[in-house]
Amino acid sequence: MRIDPCSFCGRPTYIKGITFVRNDAKCFRFCRSKCHKNFKAKRLPRKVRWTQAHRMKAGKQMIVDSTVQFAASRRNVPVRYNRELVSQTVRAMGRISEIRARRERAFYKKRISGKRAQEVIENRKLVAQSEHLLPRLQEKEMRAFDTGDSVVLRAKQKSKVFGTERKKLRARIDGSVEEVSQQTDGFNDIDMG
Amino acid sequence: MIQLKTMVNCIDNSGAAVVECIKVLRKKGPARIGDRIVVVVQKQRNFGPESGTNSGIANKVRRGDIRHAVVVRARKEIQRRDGSVIKFDDNACVLINKSGDPIGTRLNGIVGAELRNKHWSKILSLAPLHL
Repeated sequence: MRIDPCSFCGRPTYIKGITFVRNDAKCFRFCRSKCHKNFKAKRLPRKVRWTQAHRMKAGKQMIVDSTVQFAASRRNVPVRYNRELVSQTVRAMGRISEIRARRERAFYKKRISGKRAQEVIENRKLVAQSEHLLPRLQEKEMRAFDTGDSVVLRAKQKSKVFGTERKKLRARIDGSVEEVSQQTDGFNDIDMG
Repeated sequence: MIQLKTMVNCIDNSGAAVVECIKVLRKKGPARIGDRIVVVVQKQRNFGPESGTNSGIANKVRRGDIRHAVVVRARKEIQRRDGSVIKFDDNACVLINKSGDPIGTRLNGIVGAELRNKHWSKILSLAPLHL
């Protein structure tokens, strides 16, 4: 049995999902109800971000490659059974998928390579735009920031302890002793003093 | 899911365009692909002044006729033996006579492959494609 790609998202539709046959005899295979629902809602796969069609359009997928062509092309010519051919084909399938995985990895790396630099540029732009929100920097820190070194901002000084906690021991009638903590703020202390 | 009062498209050249189901035969519950139903012809094909010349050939049935029919496409999804689930665009049927032979001589449109299991081979041979 042939495993066709999903008409909406492009994943392989193993035996799952629904086949919809239009009256002009065109078959639409869907891998899951998510794709079927989106099809019924008349969404365009190219405009929906999670589909294969969109990824191809956006240049996120390897399209032009000899290994991709194997999956895409349909060969309807029946071949006479040949033991040698079958074993060769099975061997080739593994090898092709191996090559394809490696090429896809390379493609991904190439696509993603400039991302870090781009992020840094964008972050700097954001800092420059909202500079007025930052705490005022010292000369040394400013220099470090411009050169791109790691910046250690001045640690904020801890505020002095204000007020004290008093502990009282209260003797009860039944003989037990209860501990009572009492918090006072500084103002009262001053007044009392 | 074709039951009493369901309007079904007729895809043969018997002259009926839309028929209404009035009975599902030999089955409890709604009819699906391959089931036999009784219908009333509600709309005729080629109905008009220009059909007067070849009315004898074109229209074997008239509006209001009660006929038997076989469901060949259903909108309700159906699960096949191989596990796949399939559904069609509309509900469609083919008119037959009491002995099970199609009244029309041609079909325009695909039919479901479930007909094969139910021995509607005459309809299958008329159909352009079965899926």
